[in-house]
Amino acid sequence: MTEKVVVLGAGTGGLVAANLLVSHGYDVTLVEKKDYHLFQPGMLWIAFQGHDPSKYMRRVDTLVKPGVNLLKDTVESIDLNERTVKLESGKTLDYDKLIIALGVSYDYDSVPGHRQLWETYGDYFSGPEHAQRLWKHVSSLREGKLVLAAADPLYKCPPAPHKAAFLSSYTLKKMGRKDKVEVILALPFIHAYPSETMAKIVEPKLEEAGVTVMTMFTVESIDVENKKIYSMEGEELEYDVAAVIPINKGPQIEITPDSVKDEDGFIKVNKYTLEVEGFDDVYAIGDCNNTPTSKTGVTAHLGAEVVVDRILGYDAKFTGRTNCPIVANGTATFVISSYEHPVIPVKFSKFKRMLEDLFIAAYWSSLRDPEKWRSVFKAYFEATDPTKLGESGW
Amino acid sequence: MSEKIVVDARGTACPGPITKLVRAYRQAKNGDIIEVLATDPGFKPDVQAWVKRTGNELVELTEENGVIKAVIKVTAKK
Ligand SMILES: Cc1cc2nc3c(=O)[nH]c(=O)nc-3n(C[C@H](O)[C@H](O)[C@H](O)COP(=O)(O)OP(=O)(O)OC[C@H]3O[C@@H](n4cnc5c(N)ncnc54)[C@H](O)[C@@H]3O)c2cc1C
Repeated sequence: MTEKVVVLGAGTGGLVAANLLVSHGYDVTLVEKKDYHLFQPGMLWIAFQGHDPSKYMRRVDTLVKPGVNLLKDTVESIDLNERTVKLESGKTLDYDKLIIALGVSYDYDSVPGHRQLWETYGDYFSGPEHAQRLWKHVSSLREGKLVLAAADPLYKCPPAPHKAAFLSSYTLKKMGRKDKVEVILALPFIHAYPSETMAKIVEPKLEEAGVTVMTMFTVESIDVENKKIYSMEGEELEYDVAAVIPINKGPQIEITPDSVKDEDGFIKVNKYTLEVEGFDDVYAIGDCNNTPTSKTGVTAHLGAEVVVDRILGYDAKFTGRTNCPIVANGTATFVISSYEHPVIPVKFSKFKRMLEDLFIAAYWSSLRDPEKWRSVFKAYFEATDPTKLGESGW
Repeated sequence: MSEKIVVDARGTACPGPITKLVRAYRQAKNGDIIEVLATDPGFKPDVQAWVKRTGNELVELTEENGVIKAVIKVTAKK
């Protein structure tokens, strides 16, 4: 009998896993609550350059291979002992193998004033409609301060706010408001970027773009009436328009046993095998797990490959590899690290921008036909292995 | 009552150990002790800079067999 695999969530990780497994002949059911898959980095271009959201959205049913049983439904609870998944519609699924790929959920209520700020200005994390709201405010800001901050240091895509700062500063320059609007990037980290190695490379670029950097600033509360943000480290910032990255938490579902979730709801896994603690038939991939690495599409994609290989019977291991792109005007760099090796120095270059543009162009295809891209990505990741490149970097 | 919070950040990739320290700090109150274990060599200067900025107290900063241990007494919470 063919093994029955249930995949929860048709984000980056879930689509790659489901499409790979069905091409290996598994009986695959994929559950997703939304009709559309969003290319999340696209929210940056919607919020800071006014792009149309449709550019970054595709119907989920066009991204799955024939043979995948796609259910439009919301996961409510999972019982790992009974091997069942309960859906909002009342349906119950059972499985031989389960892959949880439900991403993060956002908490706008732990930081006082945050929900009100978000409802007013939007942000570039929570969805295309909120990114469009932010664009409305950014594009009509004639003078004053645009503050880009975060409520917590653990959020997906560590360089997202840096990209936001670069993109908004170019937009303001193009609109001729560069001298009237100050872009302030205020983040919890010690340096301009979480890793000092990359901070040394990114900071001069931010300076060149005219971005003001504030370090060790973790948003503690927001006073929307008086337009002020207060930090946990004891400082305050005034703003005219502000976008604060929300606290990222694990998926909002009930899991039995509850002990497989950490205090923020992230699912505890073995960081190499991605098996959920105590269960060898359940995996959690991508943003929803507690692996000590960046939460990015790249890690979700690589995690999906590892889990599929393990289901196929290979002893594949997840390396924690990151490859977070930072795009600036006409150039780009990548933040490269793994469990085995801290971040290496990688300089900005036009060639890396071309690579990043190629990765973006390949995105939809890499979700639907991941097997076609495996050798390309494998070659790239081997050539840029941080343990091989070492301190001299790239 | 004061608590001791142990943060194990050994073998973490980017964004690294400071992330875990900041998150522990949000939950902490004055009088608590935060102990961080890390293998990222950048953590040593980072934790010193963080303590200096936030005004908390660095009780211990040692390195043994490639593992950095920082013990912080929380004193600067509002
Ligand atoms: C502004 C921004 C920029 C980014 N830039 C980059 C970048 O340049 N490079 C990069 O690699 N990554 C980037 N990322 C991160 C990347 O988008 C995520 O890390 C990636 O999408 C994670 O994939 P995932 O499969 O774990 O989760 P997701 O892609 O978030 O998918 C989770 C899916 O689960 C569904 N779901 C959730 N709950 C339920 C439920 N209860 N029932 C049914 N379905 C449910 C959701 O609708 C969603 O489709 C960026 C993110 C943002 C916000």
